[in-house]
Amino acid sequence: MTAEEDSPFRRQEGTSLRSNQNRSLILLYILPALLLMTSFIYYPLVQNFIYSFYRWSAFSSSKVFIAFDNYKRLFLDPVFYIAVKNNVLYALVSVLCQCGIGLIIAAALEEKFLRRYQGFFRTVYFIPAVISMTVIGLLWQLIYNPNIGIVNAMLDLLKLGRFAHEWLGDSNTAIYAIILVSQWQYTGYIMLLYLVAMQKIPAELYESARIDGAGPTRCFFSITIPQIKEMIVVCTVITIIGSFKLFDEIYVMTAGGPGRSTEVLATAMYRSGFRNDEMGYAAAFAVVLFLITFIFTLIQLKVSRTSEE
Amino acid sequence: MQRTSVGTRLGRSLIWAGLCIYAAGIIYPFVWMFVSGFKTTSELFNNTWAPPAHWNFQNYVDAWNQGVGRYFMNSVIVTLSTVVLTIFISAAAAFAMSRFEFRGKKLMLVFVVGGLMLSPEVSVISLYKLLQDMKIYNTYLSLIIPYTAFRVPFTIFLLRSYFLSLPREVEESAYIDGCGTFRVFWSIVLPMSKPIIATASLLTAMAAWNEFMFGLVFIESDKLRTIPVGLMNLRGAFSTNWAVLLAGLSISASTMIVFFLLFQKKLIRGLTEGSVKG
Amino acid sequence: MKSSTRFLAFAPVLALAVLGMTACGRKSDSGASANGSSGPVEIKFLHKWPQPVNMAYFEGVVKAFETANPNIKIKMEAVADEPIKDKLRVLMGSDSQPDIYFSWSGEFAKKFVSSSNAFDLTEALNADPGWKDSIMKAGLEPFTFNNKNYGIPLRINGKFFVYNKTLFAKYKLSEPQTWDQFMSTCETLKKNGVVPIAFGNITPWAACHYLTGLNQKWVPQEVREKDYDPKNGEFTDPGYIKALQYFKNLNDKGYFNKGVNSTEHNMMVETFAQGKQAMMYVELEEFQDVNTKMAGKPWGFFPLPSIENAPGNQKFLTGAPDGFMVSAKTKHPQEAIAFLKFLTNKENSAKLVSTLGWPSPVIGAVNSSNAPDFLVKGMEAIQKAEGMALWLDTDINIKISDIYLPDLQELLNGKKTPQQIMKEVQDAARQVASETK
Repeated sequence: MTAEEDSPFRRQEGTSLRSNQNRSLILLYILPALLLMTSFIYYPLVQNFIYSFYRWSAFSSSKVFIAFDNYKRLFLDPVFYIAVKNNVLYALVSVLCQCGIGLIIAAALEEKFLRRYQGFFRTVYFIPAVISMTVIGLLWQLIYNPNIGIVNAMLDLLKLGRFAHEWLGDSNTAIYAIILVSQWQYTGYIMLLYLVAMQKIPAELYESARIDGAGPTRCFFSITIPQIKEMIVVCTVITIIGSFKLFDEIYVMTAGGPGRSTEVLATAMYRSGFRNDEMGYAAAFAVVLFLITFIFTLIQLKVSRTSEE
Repeated sequence: MQRTSVGTRLGRSLIWAGLCIYAAGIIYPFVWMFVSGFKTTSELFNNTWAPPAHWNFQNYVDAWNQGVGRYFMNSVIVTLSTVVLTIFISAAAAFAMSRFEFRGKKLMLVFVVGGLMLSPEVSVISLYKLLQDMKIYNTYLSLIIPYTAFRVPFTIFLLRSYFLSLPREVEESAYIDGCGTFRVFWSIVLPMSKPIIATASLLTAMAAWNEFMFGLVFIESDKLRTIPVGLMNLRGAFSTNWAVLLAGLSISASTMIVFFLLFQKKLIRGLTEGSVKG
Repeated sequence: MKSSTRFLAFAPVLALAVLGMTACGRKSDSGASANGSSGPVEIKFLHKWPQPVNMAYFEGVVKAFETANPNIKIKMEAVADEPIKDKLRVLMGSDSQPDIYFSWSGEFAKKFVSSSNAFDLTEALNADPGWKDSIMKAGLEPFTFNNKNYGIPLRINGKFFVYNKTLFAKYKLSEPQTWDQFMSTCETLKKNGVVPIAFGNITPWAACHYLTGLNQKWVPQEVREKDYDPKNGEFTDPGYIKALQYFKNLNDKGYFNKGVNSTEHNMMVETFAQGKQAMMYVELEEFQDVNTKMAGKPWGFFPLPSIENAPGNQKFLTGAPDGFMVSAKTKHPQEAIAFLKFLTNKENSAKLVSTLGWPSPVIGAVNSSNAPDFLVKGMEAIQKAEGMALWLDTDINIKISDIYLPDLQELLNGKKTPQQIMKEVQDAARQVASETK
């Protein structure tokens, strides 16, 4: 019974289901989880909706009901659109790079001539994903530094000095610079997931293809990709969801600057709430963020359900 | 598993080159970070690329004493507690959901799946208020409990799938022998689920260790800060000592790398077996 | 994980231990409120200097106070400069307000007063004229609202240009008194291949400090005071645009180093000290650090040069006191005030100056016997000034500041014009005025 065939929505009615168990005993098993989720996941979520209809500050306990004003303001706020644009940009690049290039790298590592070294590369590429965002962010801030940073120094070395730039300080390049850091950090993670999926592909498929005279590219497109289709979709969706939940890297590297050019939904939410003291407005951001991630998660669950049927 | 091999020498060399450049692009910044941690700050600005004149281990000691040590311990406490709590609560729920029939079972499942869809960041504002009202703001619990709460849905999901796939005969005979449900849970199901528990623990640990936003908002006192947020504080703290900051970053990074290298095989095995998607 | 059964059996014990530890952590936090009359009084004290050398000073003061007052315990916390701006706001809404907390002066402090979070210290000060008179008026005044004192200054800062004397001498330059002289000084340096001004603005308070002085010099005093008040802010005076233009001009003419928006202020201090730039705009409290980094190379300082024919008072100095306020919700106001008195007495103030090199507003604390020459001269400049222009980001409502400061980065990038920026500021000010009661 492989775990693949298992699905959260297909229940295995075995003979061991004891329906005459003491009700309260069963309750005891699920109670802690239930309590925890209700109090800390669902309740705050509902509260958040409610807060978004008020104007209140952390300073005082008084709340002013202003109905949809926060949302009206949100949809007129240029920062909101900058944030959404950045999140979408992030999602696009991440899907292309992490899911796309990650796939190619995984396929390359599965090639026979590289098998021996797969472990090494796999480990090296994965390492940035385990390291805390703060370390990565602070390190890259130094790497991008116009004076002592590796990037500009390397460009100088390659006689491309005229491309040297203040990467994080220019509103044109700042968001791209940060996006690049994320790709550097997570491509290895996605690649690993692909490798795991690829290793389950039965070898016979490739052998028969080879006998038929198919080259590596042909195999890649006709065998590899269709076989791991589900994983590709899953990776794409989790990358997209991750792109909208983005917070750490922006906060650490530029805090939304220069200007507000690197602001994303989560950082804009944090800033409204905890710096500008507009908790209700921040809650409105949170609601939008919730709706977006909710929809994508729904898509992911639907896809993983349908592919198992 | 056989594969067709990439034919041309050129093709292979290109692939090799690409892979090596990428690998270098990952290794070099870390090496630079480690080595720079041994320099003095003015060396860092003057001789950015040369090896340090003297290897100042003192920087590393300073970094540890000036906070990194404390942040490290805090992260360990929070992460460990989160993992333990998460596994227990999730295993119990997953056990009940995979073994028993009860009214509301379907509802519970929907509840769990719903929990999967919610990202923690969305609730930070209301959680902040809630934790204050519960008077656990700015304590370890203010991190442990939300972390656990948000990891439980996924972990239940994971464990339940695995439990469902376990053969029931052993449990059946245990019941016949007169064992209670807890005995079956504790002594039979859990031990049989070692691999999935290991994977779930590792994933939970990774998530808790690197979590940033809650650590930023729910903890104020420097004594309780976890590593991701504490390191940020060092930036202000070491306003004149960038080399020590780099040493601090290196300490943090190397811990994570070592931990990963140790548990790498388990993690991959769990990913393979459990069709986990992170 | 081998023998997970054993581990699992051990785990509940571990969990209980951890929960016990965290419960202890919690208890010590709420210990102050739990204790009523019995046991020592606990005062929570929050400041913004977690750096080790500063912590050492404060720990010393705390210990001395506790020894002299065995029934009072001080629980000290420190949060750094950038995060404390957020934390203070957050703390005000919570039940765990510190008894004594750090605050900048001006509008920043006023926010605490108007939300009833600050304890009125007027009575305590008036009851002890020795204490009150020992503090410079320039230190107390920015913490005074409606003729009531709400804060005690720990330091008083002025913003000055420090300059590399060797470089100046090399090109026969002297300290510029007027803006035109300043510009020609910069031009000479630039022509000779020296970067005139070191500037790191990845956190935009650095640009804001320039603008503080420029706004003050370009906008008439009464207009500026009215605009900075959240109830009446309009920001329509043309002086604001002029201020932005003058600042932009420094950048356009290439007087700043490259990459201002991607470097930190403290990084630029390093390169200034290495002689890579000729001048830098820093606070008096940084003089000690600059001096150490210069390592014997001669340096001097001068204030933001005056602008001829500009309507603001050209004899003002950009700078402000910062210090401490007492929570209105404190259960132990007397003890808190006693600690503040102790912190700002002559002895501790002198120690503040000699160990940390910080400018204390306590009269006589900075003198030639305990302070290096540059500090004494800096204090004299502060005392000589006819008034202080408080830091812009702490002197206006946070929502306006949140528009103004990022826009300064955009100004430097050439993305926004002064007119565009002021339009946004005006809009923000209008919204704030409508929301402020």
